[in-house]
Amino acid sequence: MECKKSKFKKLLLSKIDRKLTLLFIIVAIIAPVLGISYFYTIAILPKSITPAEAEALRTIALMMILLIAINAGVIGYLVSKSITRPIKQLYNATKEMEQGNYDVRININTKDEFQELGEAFNKAILHLGKMREEREEIDRAKSEFLSITSHELRSPITPMKAQLQMLEQGYFGKLKKEQIESLAIVIRNADRLDRIISDFLEISRIETARLKFDFRKINLAETIQDTVKFMQGFAKEKQIQLNVKIGRLPTIEADPDRISQVIRNLINNAIKFSEPKSKIEINAEKQDNQILLSVRDHGCGLSPADQIRVFEPFYQVEGHLRRKHGGFGLGLAICRGIVECQKGKIWVESKPGEGCKFNFTVPLEPVRKIEPIKVLFSPKQLIDKKIKEEFKTMLGPLGIGEFNELKNKNALNMQDLIEYVDTLMNKYILDEEHGLFFKNRIRKIFGEEKDTCLENPVKKGGVTRN
Amino acid sequence: MSETVEQKPKKSSEKTKKTILVVDDEPDIRESVKMILQMNGYRVLTAVDGDDALAKAQEEKPDLILLDIMMPGTPVSEIINQIKDIKIAFMSVVRISDARKKGLCTQENIVDFFQKPFNVSDLVSRVELILTE
Repeated sequence: MECKKSKFKKLLLSKIDRKLTLLFIIVAIIAPVLGISYFYTIAILPKSITPAEAEALRTIALMMILLIAINAGVIGYLVSKSITRPIKQLYNATKEMEQGNYDVRININTKDEFQELGEAFNKAILHLGKMREEREEIDRAKSEFLSITSHELRSPITPMKAQLQMLEQGYFGKLKKEQIESLAIVIRNADRLDRIISDFLEISRIETARLKFDFRKINLAETIQDTVKFMQGFAKEKQIQLNVKIGRLPTIEADPDRISQVIRNLINNAIKFSEPKSKIEINAEKQDNQILLSVRDHGCGLSPADQIRVFEPFYQVEGHLRRKHGGFGLGLAICRGIVECQKGKIWVESKPGEGCKFNFTVPLEPVRKIEPIKVLFSPKQLIDKKIKEEFKTMLGPLGIGEFNELKNKNALNMQDLIEYVDTLMNKYILDEEHGLFFKNRIRKIFGEEKDTCLENPVKKGGVTRN
Repeated sequence: MSETVEQKPKKSSEKTKKTILVVDDEPDIRESVKMILQMNGYRVLTAVDGDDALAKAQEEKPDLILLDIMMPGTPVSEIINQIKDIKIAFMSVVRISDARKKGLCTQENIVDFFQKPFNVSDLVSRVELILTE
């Protein structure tokens, strides 16, 4: 009862409702009044007055009707405008907000609910703006902290290593064999510590878009050759051969140090995973609008489970290899950061027992606007989980295999997934209804749902398979 | 595995000792580098920052300056501007590519770049190379 009373009150007190109600009442009253008056003046009245008077009356009646019609039209227009204009203002402001502009404000002065809505909007967007500022502050503080900490952590390593090496090399007197070996262990780990901290610094730069690139026109083939030459020393230790095959490459604008960094990392991994006296192939070729580089080894390969996770920070391959190589798992995450910063892709193709082929792409034109890439804690993993679930639902148990394949190719962004479903539909593996539903579900995961009304066809009875 | 080969420090006596000025704001690094170079037969002076380095360089005219990049006080770019006739080698945590981007490596008297943490035998051999050219 209480609820109904206040609702009724709100109905009465709503200013917009009052405006509209008034409008309708006026129309509902004026129209018949006009009609009746006209009928009266035209049809009935003339019988009781002179024709001249009747004519005058008729003219006056006509003029009055015209006047009233014009007034009604004008008033109607103004009232309706007083409703549609605020709506348009709200729409425009919301569109701006969608684009990320949080500085837009609404100024509605109609002294009704629209004005209240406008004020509420302004408050909300002010809050959004503040939240974003706060988030940016936190990001800045986080990266400052990370970078200062990393520099502070690195400083002691220099004098430590210097003194240890002096000891080891007999600067302070001859040492026993065990003493030298002991020192070797300490020095090795000091180096390792230094590398981990440097990697952390790189990751912090990647995450906060502070990765520095120095783009210039380069001869990519030369860069690759120089890098391979640099790695020859390490490869020789295991008697591994580095073979380079470079196709016709155009002169591109890129950062050679960064490309070299990625290649060095991949070759380093390849050497770790290869048996002595084996080969590693480094290829580069031009594709339509990018350059594809790859490093192939003939080691033991990666299991499908490892293939998916190998780019995750700190992920270490399980098993006997762990003993043979050290490593701390940030190299590939850093490579991913560098490659994806330039809107490229990096992925691995592998079969257990047949080695690995790591591929990455470099654009022909550099991407100058560096955006932060999340490599440490990515919402990507949550999204990937959801996508995997969707594949399981839509395609049954084989869906997981399909999902894993796409994940290996790093093709789990919305665009690639939609294309994939299209291929399924073209091959009649999925009918149109299932296909559209699938695509919509994918869009929903990325927050771009188009049609919420699609019924779930899977419930009806599974997928059509030829 | 780092080298287990013992490398005995050189002892020079007859030939004129070259002078090296080591500039670093961290005392442990200053001392360590000084020790290494002294035990390899060089005369070593130290400075704590850029201004100190300028003063000592003018006074003593060393044969080589080993210069850290990140130090308090006058920025290194300004310091090297005022030392054009003595060989300078950077010794820094800053990567050489970043140093190049800052325009620090364009001067002619910049002869080498040691990345910290450095290798002792590497430092010694490269310093020797610089001073025998």
